Amino acid sequence: MPQIKIYKQDYISTPAGRVWKAFSHNPFALVGLWGVGFLLVLALLAPFIAPYGANEQNQQVLLLPPSWDPAGHVEYFLGTDDLGRDIFSRILHGVQMTFGMSLVIVSCALFFGFIIGAISGMMRGLKSSILGHLLDALLSIPSLLMAILVVAVIGPGLSNVFWAVGIAMVPQFIRTIHQAVHDELQKEYVTAARLDGANDLQILLYVIMPNVWEVLIIQVTMAISAAILDIAALGFLNLGAQAPSPEWGAMVAQGLDNLLLAPWTVTIPGVAILFSVLAVNLVGDGLRSAIAPIRK
Amino acid sequence: MWRYFFRRVNLFFATTLVMMAVLFYATHQFPVDESYALSGISNPSAEQLEHISDEFKLNSNSVVQFLAYVEQRFSGNMGMSINSQQPVFEELKTVLPASFELSLVAGLIALFLGVPIGVIAALSSNKFVQWSILGLTLTGYSIPVFWLGLTLSLWFGVNLGWLPISGQINLLYQIKPITGFMLIDTLLSDSSYRIPAFVDALMHLILPAITLAVLPFTLIVRITRQAMLQVMNQTYIRAAEARGLHTFTIIIKHALPNAMIPVLKSIGIMLGTFACYGIIVEVIFSWPGVGSWLVSGIYQRDYTVIQAGILSVSLLIIFLSILIEFIHTAINPMSKKELYATN
Repeated sequence: MPQIKIYKQDYISTPAGRVWKAFSHNPFALVGLWGVGFLLVLALLAPFIAPYGANEQNQQVLLLPPSWDPAGHVEYFLGTDDLGRDIFSRILHGVQMTFGMSLVIVSCALFFGFIIGAISGMMRGLKSSILGHLLDALLSIPSLLMAILVVAVIGPGLSNVFWAVGIAMVPQFIRTIHQAVHDELQKEYVTAARLDGANDLQILLYVIMPNVWEVLIIQVTMAISAAILDIAALGFLNLGAQAPSPEWGAMVAQGLDNLLLAPWTVTIPGVAILFSVLAVNLVGDGLRSAIAPIRK
Repeated sequence: MWRYFFRRVNLFFATTLVMMAVLFYATHQFPVDESYALSGISNPSAEQLEHISDEFKLNSNSVVQFLAYVEQRFSGNMGMSINSQQPVFEELKTVLPASFELSLVAGLIALFLGVPIGVIAALSSNKFVQWSILGLTLTGYSIPVFWLGLTLSLWFGVNLGWLPISGQINLLYQIKPITGFMLIDTLLSDSSYRIPAFVDALMHLILPAITLAVLPFTLIVRITRQAMLQVMNQTYIRAAEARGLHTFTIIIKHALPNAMIPVLKSIGIMLGTFACYGIIVEVIFSWPGVGSWLVSGIYQRDYTVIQAGILSVSLLIIFLSILIEFIHTAINPMSKKELYATN
């Protein structure tokens, strides 16, 4: 039955509604969104779904190939590594470490970056410049070098991944938010609000923020994908997650000894990293192209 | 323009100082003796100890210590490597050119492949070409570099046996370092095997360079495409079309120079990530550059090497990114307008 319009006026959707409409018209972005949702569910449910424990060893089945190989066994779906640990279970446990941790790091970096960036963006002159440029120095230290510095001070471990990637990420957020707030502050609607007697806090929260959050969301998705890659890279270099941990990068490093005998111990965690980063990037890309025409 | 130049130079010095302060603070947090972390001499005799504390002003307050630290480091006193017992500065001079060689080649591959493909992606009206280029770049952007390196070396190095997968050159060739760039050194050397040595060095370079080139390549393709799409909508392009110019001429002479400006800017932003990837690639392919030197330094807790490596790499990144930002402003009149509100 065709919809009947009772009222003459057209329904104008909200900006968020329009973004969603443009976003959902892009099939790749939707695939990415499903992927991210899938990862989120896995991160919550992994310990209940995984058939074996992350460090459960079975000496009977060392280096078993994946189940599609003639020599494989379906009970060990993705095969086993050199200690007889089920790779499928380890990948599931690893979702929490690699993907979950990237979410934690990015939200912490977002929190601090937002506070400092908003303050420095609202200020003018020297104070703003000092706050904005002071952290440029940290921005120029790549996260890997930061991690090496942190490892040299407090030794390797999963906790210093948090510090290294987090410290390297905060300045990016500060810069993005500083720039966005600063740009909006020049516009006339802000002056209008100021003439209405709004104070700085009100201007920031009610006038500028609604126009900044889109930039912020794009930055967050980019940061999540960068964080996953960084965590995995640190795990691979043995500077982050340590040996028995099912962190995906560390799994690649552990499989390295058997690369020639059992390439799947390296390939499968790599594919897992690729899949999650790709999903996040697809969402980010879809958001960017959905938001871009609206911002013009 | 000069005012802008001096502001950038100022920024360079301020950033360097902040970076040195971070490094200075971290050095004092290292879980070893102060003099050991600063000089790399593990069991200093009484006079050595006195010499170190004299150089680094260890008996004064921390501001004087910091200034002494900056002075020592910039005058080339990086201490001794704890592991190899060589002066760190000498080691740094041999590893830096190798890294430069790798990253230059990777960057050039990315630039010379990325720009044309980006232009094709922007101009092609074929949906399939567009989607496949975009999908390919997104995958390249998402791929973990260590895994890519391992897969490539497993495939081309081990299974197919086409390319060597570790080192800079076969150890059988004795090449005297002149410039530090292996490709140039092999050609400059006066030995009878210089051409085979050059070919061998080139073969060693291919896999690491391609692995490292993937990230800048994908970024350059994406940004070139975006910039081209924007530029091709401008009125001056339509004017050129109306004058009856050939499409190729329009792209080369009118569109590309303008589209290159955002590409230049994004190269500056990308430097830090590129350095990270470079370090990982050097570790995987055992490339004797500053990255693998630094990572082996951290495995062996070689504190002087860690300091020198971090200092040199971050200084380079600060310098290059400020230089690129400056060039970007210098060749782009639009950004001058933003700076001074006039031309």
